[in-house]
Amino acid sequence: MDVLLSGQLLIAALVTGSIYALVAVGLNLIYGTMRMLNVAHGDLAMIGAYVAFWLFTLYGISPFIALFLAVVVTAALAAVLYLFIFKRVMRSVKLLDRAEANSLLVFFGISVILQNGSAYVFTTNPRGFQYLDQVLQIGSAAITANRLVTLILSLLLVFAVVAFFRFTMVGLALRALIQNRTASQIVGINIERIFLYSFMLGFALSGLAGALVSMYEQIWPFMGFPYTIAAFVIIILGGLGNLFGSLAAGMILGVLETFGIAITGPNFRSILIYGVLILVLLLRPQGLFGGKRVVAR
Amino acid sequence: MTTSRKEITGGLIAVALIALVIAWPFLTSQYLVGFGIFVLVWVAYTESWVVLSGMTGYFSFGHVVFAGLGGYLMAALWMVWPEEIAPYGVVIGGVRIWASMIVAAIASGLLALLVGYPCLRVRGPYFVILTFGVAEFVKFIVVNIEAGMSKSGRLMLGGPSTEALYFLMAALALVAFLLAFFVGRSRFGAGLRAIREDEDAAETMGIPVTRYKLTAFVLSAIIPGVVGALYVLRGGYFEPLQVFDPKISLTMICMAIMGGSDDARGPLFGVVFLAVLSELLWAKFPLIYQILIGIVLISFVLGAPDGIWGRIVQSSRKRAMNAAAKKPGSAS
Repeated sequence: MDVLLSGQLLIAALVTGSIYALVAVGLNLIYGTMRMLNVAHGDLAMIGAYVAFWLFTLYGISPFIALFLAVVVTAALAAVLYLFIFKRVMRSVKLLDRAEANSLLVFFGISVILQNGSAYVFTTNPRGFQYLDQVLQIGSAAITANRLVTLILSLLLVFAVVAFFRFTMVGLALRALIQNRTASQIVGINIERIFLYSFMLGFALSGLAGALVSMYEQIWPFMGFPYTIAAFVIIILGGLGNLFGSLAAGMILGVLETFGIAITGPNFRSILIYGVLILVLLLRPQGLFGGKRVVAR
Repeated sequence: MTTSRKEITGGLIAVALIALVIAWPFLTSQYLVGFGIFVLVWVAYTESWVVLSGMTGYFSFGHVVFAGLGGYLMAALWMVWPEEIAPYGVVIGGVRIWASMIVAAIASGLLALLVGYPCLRVRGPYFVILTFGVAEFVKFIVVNIEAGMSKSGRLMLGGPSTEALYFLMAALALVAFLLAFFVGRSRFGAGLRAIREDEDAAETMGIPVTRYKLTAFVLSAIIPGVVGALYVLRGGYFEPLQVFDPKISLTMICMAIMGGSDDARGPLFGVVFLAVLSELLWAKFPLIYQILIGIVLISFVLGAPDGIWGRIVQSSRKRAMNAAAKKPGSAS
């Protein structure tokens, strides 16, 4: 019981939640603009983690610098995928009709390729490295420096994204696209360019999260999947297309998961997360903060 | 009504296939009989999946839950049935198999009814995520139940022979195919397709949308339940993470997409295609196999969304159109 009330769990929950929020915002962005569910989203985090790992292990480069390269790699990947695959999907009327179901499968294919490609190249041995793992004391709670930095950076990044949406032209265009695709075209927004940007940004956010997490988590080719699942739960919980909702829901899930596991045990983590998913989808599919969009009858 | 040439050809192919399936165990080695079981199991799974998801467009990403449930019931009840119920031991290993199969069928149907009613209220990608979530949820519950009983997997000794399993699976695959076939040709099937194309319009036309969707869901769940129950007897071993593996759901979907998900004949192509591919690659190069599957999946979704069968239908239509255009009496 003491553990529950201590700050220890709360800090851990915030760290988890902030990473989840970062990943979820990226996923929500891609969904909001292109209406596609990126099932490979967590795998981008895996890519980011490997980038950080190899840069640190081979060249001794700090993960904070590796962050930039992780962004470059994932954004480049997004650009390639968009230009060669998704541009075609978005343009074809026939494909767009079944876009949602189809895109799921395409992303699944991408996920499979990323995971097994990484396994092939990097082997499935779990990797890890030590960086900034001094323990700091905040009140009664202990936390490693890398986790603390992750928490701060993730939150800063999410707020940066929100600011981006508020105060830049591209951000405004993105919001317009999320709101109404046809209307955006009418007012002259180059939606294909905005699709590309949102795709790249979404991927980059996930890669960033992965690079941050690599400092204190194990890295292996299949590490992305739990993040994908968590991201899905979060964007549904927060409302599809609602970016602030993802932030809030990310924190909520982080808290739920951490405290839930503390009460029941680590085996129940999956039951908890999927249980939340089912409950939200059945009781309130538009999410806690979503509008009255017709998703069910 | 005269039978067209197409129908006669189709009928002949069907007869030939059935003959091949029946003769298979007598022609080939034990290993290939096992391969045959593998193919038949996937035919049964994929045809059932098509009845729901191919026809209504509600892609179920959690169909493995029915197979897993069937497997769990078979394993859990294995020692439960009293031996005194006249063991028809000779061919199929005893009444307990039949009893468990019936229980599995009923349980799958009930689960589909229970889960389907709330789940079918949500559309499109929500439904996909939800069914996936439900399957994983059930999986982890079973994992925890087994862990709670300190069982890490269950053994079933004294199951039927490979040949016996083969014929059981063949029968189930045939039933699944016929189900998909007749649903596709029925008014019910037309209603399902209408739901897929535009659910609100379908409802306006008077199609009982909820009842149809739910019926399709239940129908699509029963055979996977029975097949799942039998499949655990192949190795005689039940392990929840294997039996509820989401890759099984994904494979069903891949096979349906690649073969064609609108018609009962599509999955046959998809199953054979993937089965041969996996047989060639999986043992030696599992990672390459997976990567190749990913590439093939993407190519099919983008290039041939109606699958192999869809392509065949398209090309035969084109040929028919060209032939009609060449006829002297037609307007052009």
